[in-house]
Amino acid sequence: MGPFQRELQRLKEYDEVADIGEIARRYFAMNSFDGILTIVGVLAGNYLAGVRTPSVVITTGMATSVSMAVSGLWGAYLTESAERQRSLDELENHTLTDLSQTRIGRASRAAVFVVSAVDGLAPLLASFLVLTPFFVSHLLGGILYSYYASLVVAMLALFGMGAFLGRISKQNVFVAGLKMVVAGVMALLLSYLIEHTVGISETGG
Amino acid sequence: MGKIRRIVLDVLKPHDPTIIEVSAQLSDLAGVEAVNISIYEIDLRVENAKITLEGSDLDYDDVERVIGDNGGTVHSIDEVVAGRSIIDDAATLQDPQG
Repeated sequence: MGPFQRELQRLKEYDEVADIGEIARRYFAMNSFDGILTIVGVLAGNYLAGVRTPSVVITTGMATSVSMAVSGLWGAYLTESAERQRSLDELENHTLTDLSQTRIGRASRAAVFVVSAVDGLAPLLASFLVLTPFFVSHLLGGILYSYYASLVVAMLALFGMGAFLGRISKQNVFVAGLKMVVAGVMALLLSYLIEHTVGISETGG
Repeated sequence: MGKIRRIVLDVLKPHDPTIIEVSAQLSDLAGVEAVNISIYEIDLRVENAKITLEGSDLDYDDVERVIGDNGGTVHSIDEVVAGRSIIDDAATLQDPQG
């Protein structure tokens, strides 16, 4: 067994003790969703504000993604380690022993690490995926096509995410996917409404 | 020195890792031939288990390490058998009559 397989085996054992998989999956879905919707908002803002330079969209998009990643990583680390510590302390009150150096303690620390990484990486990867068309806008024949392609990628990603959740909850995969897409459309509509309101107030002022 | 052939322990352990995992780990130890774990009391977060180990040459330190690593504590060593063969305790007049 190689070192990588050994680590995987250990992680699997920790998963059995600390339920890492379930929580990581929840964080992954929740934060990818956040990541995609935030980037859809950024893109809608850029588009409506008349930004037609790919580098500007990429810079604003990446800055937002990185902030989301740091926020996810930090937030999950702090909340998860606090919750895990509390749960370990409670268990220690029952066993009347120090559990920090046992398999339970190690599993608890591994859970904090994995969950924080998932929480940070999920929005980062999801938003980078949506931004991809702007990296190749010269191949797509103009930034407008990048906007459209990004929108399609975002909606597909949202649908995929919904379908994934639908599969977990054993619901209709198609309906679950559509529910997520509705959220994306809602974000776009709200962005459009805001731009429209700001546009009117600027004309009025 | 004589070899330990059977140990019976009273252990308090958290629900997770389960007795399936703990028994599998104990049976992996050198000199262990059979493991039996039975739960006789369940609390909200912990459970009391009676762990019986038999083998050709049991190492108590190893057994205690595995139990400790899984969050368990040995409350008492209830029975030990050592020697070339396994014997049960002999009946005496003081034993409760069935």
